[in-house]
Amino acid sequence: MSELAIDVQHVVKRYAEHLAVKDLTLAVPQGTVYGLLGPNGAGKTTTIRMILNIIAPDQGTIRVLGAASSDPRITDRIGYLPEERGLYKKMKVRSVLQFLGELRGMRRRDADQRIDYWLDRLSLRTPEKDWGAAKVDELSRGMQQKVQFIGTLLHDPDLVILDEPFSGLDPINAQALKDTVVELRKRGKTVIFSTHLMDNAERLCDAVCIIAGGEKVLDGTVAGVKTAHGARHIALGLNGDSPSSVASVLSDKTLVTRVDDQNQFFELELAPGASPQRLLERLVTAGAPITRFELVQPSLHQIFLQTVGAQGVEAGMSGQG
Amino acid sequence: MVKAKLWAVIRREYLERVQTRAFIIGSLLGPVLIAGILFVPAWLTMRNLRADATSSLIVIDATGAGLGERLRTALTPTTAAPNATGRIDIRVTPPDGIAAAESLATKAVISKEVDGYVVLDASTLRGERARYAGRKATAVGDMRRLETALRTSTLAERLESANLSPTLVDSLTRSRLELESERLTEQGRGSDASRRANTMFAVAVAFLLYMSMILYGQTVLRGVLEEKSTRVAEVVVSSVSPETLLAGKVIGVGAVGLTQQIIWVAGTLYLGSFLAPLLTRMAGPAVDSATPATAMPTMSMPDIHIGSLVLILVFFILGYGVYSSLYAAVGSTVNSEQEAQQALAPILVLIVASALFIQPAMMNPTSTLARVASMFPFSAPIIMPLRMSLVPIPPWEMAVAIVGLVIAFVVVILLAARIYRVGLLMYGKRPTLSELVRWAKQA
Repeated sequence: MSELAIDVQHVVKRYAEHLAVKDLTLAVPQGTVYGLLGPNGAGKTTTIRMILNIIAPDQGTIRVLGAASSDPRITDRIGYLPEERGLYKKMKVRSVLQFLGELRGMRRRDADQRIDYWLDRLSLRTPEKDWGAAKVDELSRGMQQKVQFIGTLLHDPDLVILDEPFSGLDPINAQALKDTVVELRKRGKTVIFSTHLMDNAERLCDAVCIIAGGEKVLDGTVAGVKTAHGARHIALGLNGDSPSSVASVLSDKTLVTRVDDQNQFFELELAPGASPQRLLERLVTAGAPITRFELVQPSLHQIFLQTVGAQGVEAGMSGQG
Repeated sequence: MVKAKLWAVIRREYLERVQTRAFIIGSLLGPVLIAGILFVPAWLTMRNLRADATSSLIVIDATGAGLGERLRTALTPTTAAPNATGRIDIRVTPPDGIAAAESLATKAVISKEVDGYVVLDASTLRGERARYAGRKATAVGDMRRLETALRTSTLAERLESANLSPTLVDSLTRSRLELESERLTEQGRGSDASRRANTMFAVAVAFLLYMSMILYGQTVLRGVLEEKSTRVAEVVVSSVSPETLLAGKVIGVGAVGLTQQIIWVAGTLYLGSFLAPLLTRMAGPAVDSATPATAMPTMSMPDIHIGSLVLILVFFILGYGVYSSLYAAVGSTVNSEQEAQQALAPILVLIVASALFIQPAMMNPTSTLARVASMFPFSAPIIMPLRMSLVPIPPWEMAVAIVGLVIAFVVVILLAARIYRVGLLMYGKRPTLSELVRWAKQA
């Protein structure tokens, strides 16, 4: 196994009123894209802040890039995009980026070159207009997000941590972000991001960890997690309106334990002991206009609902996400 | 490496502030304002001296002893040309003609032919009273000058009527006595003028220190609040420790404050170098033997040693350090300016209370109150520089003040850094006092 980019061992973080993180252990191999999944208030941001040494864990150890997370030498190798994003409003874009670069140990001259590269790449600098010379508050929200993003990657970090990176992004910026994550992965960098959007996680991540209520629910490679949850999921496609008899088949708990009705498309979880053949037979008998019937691996979304649902999204941990 | 990052923080804090319009305008207007405050009163005095109440006057002389003539002699400048500026019109009347003469004189004053009139009668000759009526009755300096001239004239008249020879009388009454007081310290003597300059300097320094602690403390607070409310704080503290950020902010803003004050002092001196000769030239015609020297605003420098200036700088740095760290800690616990103003109350009490000691300490710099206030860490940065410029300070008192301030500085910085570390990423409700104590204990 390759060296771990992040090694969190039995970490506990307690706030005044509640336990934010309970005995969390997770390992992120270098060169992977890792998703930290969980409902709001699961302890994702707290975990990330502990990894970044912004707050200290009450118990447990955290090693980042082979050193203690408090080691000042590693902070220059990390890029961080927090969930709550903001910049110095009155500063010029270039000055802000120079400052962020210097805080990550860059020299101004090197920072300037990288700033040029990124401004061009994210079309913040065109022959007509150089937004680098503008003040931050003259920029649109979308452009500010780009600037923030540049600030995260300016010093070419080995480990990139993105907290809810997709929240509030317009589709174009979201695509640019995905492209960049893929590119970072190709260059052997490690990317960790937290999200509650399973679609993005499923497409981008090599491995995931689902946490809820400050505890790890499951973790592993995306493929491994899916296999562990068995091929007992069926994708069912129905054409147009189906007779009510179909609905009664789907609500038969001896056949199907869960139904995710997506209107034209259903994701079903077979009940223990029920066979796909038996289900198909019943559906045909009921006169269902089947367009698709396929044994599939469960989506991360399903696994998430299945595993976290038990713990309760609504168990409603309050406080820091 | 930590040093490079601290430098980056200081640099940002400094450059971003120095380039603001508020800073540039404030720096340029400051000297104009200070020069205005210093020179306008002096200029007004000068103007009064030149065209004063005694230059254009009707003297109603009902003494029958020629007192009016004596008064004119006493008032007329000896060096200047006799009819250079004004005129003194003597109207000799019998005692029962005073009322008529007065109503005539009143008309002359109202029609602005003269500035006023003075009535001399038998009681004046007895050394009791004389009356003045006119436009300049409220000009204290002028009235004093007229009074002095009257006294001298009356005295001379009375001496002559007691059969002293006129020349003897003249030589006796021409004497002009002034009280000169000297500041006596271990370092040597200072003249009366320099003592007044010292007091002015001391109070100016105290107020400057007071103002800058409030002003630049607020600036630090607003900076912390900005980082917190724009959420930029989280990115920053993921790269540098909150302590480094706090230190950089305090040092950066402090450097801005020093820059501004240097501009102010230099600008004022520069403007002064133009204005002072202007004043002297204006004062020219009025400067003569008849003008008491004390009426002249003296352009005397305070006798302050370079060592004192260094000490003042030390007090400024320590005092600013203590207060701005407190401001930063407060800034990290609040979410808006309004909340900040409430949370600041305890700090403002400390600063304003210190400023309240300025007056008593200036009046009596050796009183117990002044001595205690100059050694108490939170008022020392304002009161000690004030006392120091007025009286010699026993070395042990100075040592207590500085050591106490250094200790307070260290304690406050450590506490503030801890509160800052936790508060910076806390949003929502303002912490209670007990929560603050817990923040300070953890981490």
